[in-house]
Amino acid sequence: MRTSNRSALTVAALAAVVALVSGCGETGQGPQQSAKEGGKIICLMPKLVGIPYFEASKTGAEEAAKELKVELTYNGPTEGKAALQVEMIEQLIQRQCGAISVAANDPDALAPAMKKAKEAGIATGAWDADVKKDARDVFVNQATFEAVGKQLVDIMSKQTGEKGDFLVVTGSLTAPNQRAWLEEMKAHMADKYPDMKVAAVEPGEENLQKGIDVTRDYLKANPDTAGVFGITSVALPGAAEAVEQAGLDGKVKVTGLTTPNEMKDYIKKGTVEEFVLWNPVDLGYLAVHVAKAQLDKKLPKSGKFKAGRLGEVEVVKPDEVLLGPPIVFNKDNIGEYDF
Amino acid sequence: MSANQLRPLDVLKGVRFTRELVLLCLLIVLVVVLGQMSPVFFTVGNLLNTSRFFVEVGLIALGMTLIIITGGIDLSVGAAMALVAVTVGLAHQSGVPMALALVLGLAVGLAAGLFNGLMITRLDLHPLVVTLGTFALFRGIALGVSGGGAVSSFPQWFEYFGQFYLGPVPGQLFVFIAAVTAVWLLLSRTPFGRYVYAIGNNEEAARFSGVPVRRVKVVLYTGIGVLVSMAAVIYTSRVSTSRADFGAGLELDVISAVVLGGASIYGGSGTIAGTVLGVVIIATLRNGLSLAGVETTWQVFLLGVLLIAAVFVNEFFRRREE
Amino acid sequence: MSGVGALRSVGLRTAPTTRGLRRWLLRPEAPAAVFLVVLLAAFSLAADRFLTPDNLESILVQVAVLGIIALAVNQVILAGEIDISVGSMLGLCAVAVGTVATATGGLLAPLAAGVATGVLAGAVNGLLVTLGRIPSIIVTLGMLYALRGVILLVTGGTWITQIPDETRVLGLAKLAGVSLPVFVMFALFLIVNAVSRNSTWGRDVFAVGGNRRAARLAGLAIDRTRLLAFALVGAFVGIAATIYVGRAGSVQTNAGEGLELQVIAAVVIGGTSIAGGRGSALAPVIGAVLIGVILNGMILVGVPGVWQSAVLGALILLAVTTDALRRRLVGGAA
Repeated sequence: MRTSNRSALTVAALAAVVALVSGCGETGQGPQQSAKEGGKIICLMPKLVGIPYFEASKTGAEEAAKELKVELTYNGPTEGKAALQVEMIEQLIQRQCGAISVAANDPDALAPAMKKAKEAGIATGAWDADVKKDARDVFVNQATFEAVGKQLVDIMSKQTGEKGDFLVVTGSLTAPNQRAWLEEMKAHMADKYPDMKVAAVEPGEENLQKGIDVTRDYLKANPDTAGVFGITSVALPGAAEAVEQAGLDGKVKVTGLTTPNEMKDYIKKGTVEEFVLWNPVDLGYLAVHVAKAQLDKKLPKSGKFKAGRLGEVEVVKPDEVLLGPPIVFNKDNIGEYDF
Repeated sequence: MSANQLRPLDVLKGVRFTRELVLLCLLIVLVVVLGQMSPVFFTVGNLLNTSRFFVEVGLIALGMTLIIITGGIDLSVGAAMALVAVTVGLAHQSGVPMALALVLGLAVGLAAGLFNGLMITRLDLHPLVVTLGTFALFRGIALGVSGGGAVSSFPQWFEYFGQFYLGPVPGQLFVFIAAVTAVWLLLSRTPFGRYVYAIGNNEEAARFSGVPVRRVKVVLYTGIGVLVSMAAVIYTSRVSTSRADFGAGLELDVISAVVLGGASIYGGSGTIAGTVLGVVIIATLRNGLSLAGVETTWQVFLLGVLLIAAVFVNEFFRRREE
Repeated sequence: MSGVGALRSVGLRTAPTTRGLRRWLLRPEAPAAVFLVVLLAAFSLAADRFLTPDNLESILVQVAVLGIIALAVNQVILAGEIDISVGSMLGLCAVAVGTVATATGGLLAPLAAGVATGVLAGAVNGLLVTLGRIPSIIVTLGMLYALRGVILLVTGGTWITQIPDETRVLGLAKLAGVSLPVFVMFALFLIVNAVSRNSTWGRDVFAVGGNRRAARLAGLAIDRTRLLAFALVGAFVGIAATIYVGRAGSVQTNAGEGLELQVIAAVVIGGTSIAGGRGSALAPVIGAVLIGVILNGMILVGVPGVWQSAVLGALILLAVTTDALRRRLVGGAA
């Protein structure tokens, strides 16, 4: 009696696990292995899923996929870690993607996996954040590090009379793109605004509360700070909120990079006058168009490339497509964007 | 489906439901189900390739199993991994020959583990308390000395090390199998292994019966430092770069695998076979769900549910046995 | 500030006799308290803006979320269990608070939604531990993953923004120059302290965590005691989430990530034994304040961003070493 009870329970337990796993499988949006006739799957990988920026790119990517009638897989790790992306790229290779394009958490770490994809005959690309040049065929660049760095410093210089000490709040001290922006910002200050200086870099750890706290503490210790740069989508709202809470809005200027929806309040109240970003919806849209052109072997090496509703997009290098200049958001135009 | 499964279960009548058996069943079920969901999953190439991604967690999990059996824990493994990776990277960058850089990395990992071990035994502090501190300290040193920058100009042969295959078998799998064998022998065939269990069952009693408790603990924490170094070297080689944010959150991945494998967090029980199964199950689940196109957000949720469900099933059988 | 005040008054009251001092030093939170005072003195000397009422107040505001959650997790740890799901739980409660706040406005409805979500999640933890007989570290580790998944699935990855001002009162408003979160934290501390000393449940927590066999033989309601502790964590996380949303003004999908280890650090640095049964309600508050002082002091002193984690780690180790030192000097349990 005991044993038979136990067997029944084993079956029930195992069945439950099976049901659970297979049930959830059906909710996944992965491509069925029978790819559409003639078409190949385009696999687009963000740095991570579950943040507004890459959800916006997803919208654009899906729009393009529908237009071009290609099958799209848009999936990335839940944390922005290069190692998880490496693993997922290898799985994408096995899933026979026609094209793989990644927003790389680390340019070097992803290179071996992307080379492997290349060897497997897959069209490779990077978007948003590049991988090593020899590990991909094309990079869809939203804006060069230089353009972004300069733009941020220029905006700040207008508001602070081209002088002052500044705090930079980052998302992570190791993220290659943030480090590159920071270098460009420092270089541009040294070059054009000798009275402007990055006095400190504080890590916000992609945590809104932490971003608020470090900004407040820093401003308390350094009340002469002229402005704060928040260079990620978490750091900028955090910096703006901190300046507001400290009652320093207007006195300490804030700018940086983020998606506009989080910033509408701060723009309306005037805590932040202007900030910068490209359009992530368009970026996702363009990335799919470029991947499709790679599949069709129609991607030009120079000149212009026609990408659906975006019109003509510039091919700046044989292996690089540029989305266009970054958008400067302010109270006049922020209402037009919803992402 | 249940009709198919009843038959093999009849054969199992009278078999003792050990933790390992439950996990093995779970693994088989997973492989079958995931194989249904994605035809690519159940291929030798894929299964072997998957192993490349669990070796790092697996190596550290071996050491963690022994530590958890003694009733301890090490939360600093992810941070120590970053410290070793950064050491190797910076040493190489400053012109130290690669082989020597690897030795330096190993030495730093060993020193990190030794530091934990000495703090725990000399000051009589709880391992969780000490390793929470070194969790921030090791990561902080890695971040500080590297300034947050990455080193990636490693020589070709080193990159090859983490990426080569012997036939269809990835190279690091051999390292893992060797480590599993060594730790398994250590735990089940030597007096040292008996000491480990004795400490976990009752530390006071072990001390009175002549077990060198402190020395065993220092060896264990130093040992996991060495395993962390190996994992760090393999990882650095596999992604051909070194950065101070490596291994963030690794400690929870490792602990998940070990407790899924049946080691009791209160000490006294746990096996290497269980831990290896735990590591393989989590890796299989992740790989299979990804191949089947299940979104990663669901995977996070499922991993949590699986962890609880597996232990629940195990507890259920264990209590029926009693 | 009042935390420091409370410390001082404890010190003064027992200082006159050496026996009293010895007894005070044997209290679980004594080493952390001594270390805190040393640290406060050191930072005051190193940064002239450190020891101002304004700065001390802002430290307390910054640790309120951590302190409140640590207060409840402290009870779980005293009862011999552990809860490492609080990071994801805070995220989920913040999503609940934010969703209700943007739908209905007001303070009470979002607060109630946050607390209800927390209690539900806490009760699931508690039931799996007590009825399911699964070790709490596994239950809460699983819940850490599962709840984070739920957050991502529920929000679809978008943030909740534009939280109405009336909901943010709990995070932003001040009373007599001191922010509300500080009052909330100390009110909750006083309640937990009183309950812990005077109620049956409060005493059972120590008994269950100290010696479960003895507690069972004595006929204590072991399961109910632990279940209540887990539910309490949920309720406090719900309150903390309302403060969090109030202070931050929006809810990110990664809200609370990594908080679980900070909370445990606060509890054990404060002096509560991770093995259960030994500690006090004051310990997590002191631990949380200690962490807040370190984080704030480092920025005021000007420790570069890349070295902050190393300094934090070193100071945490020094803090726990104080405990070992105390045992050498005056004895007492590990």
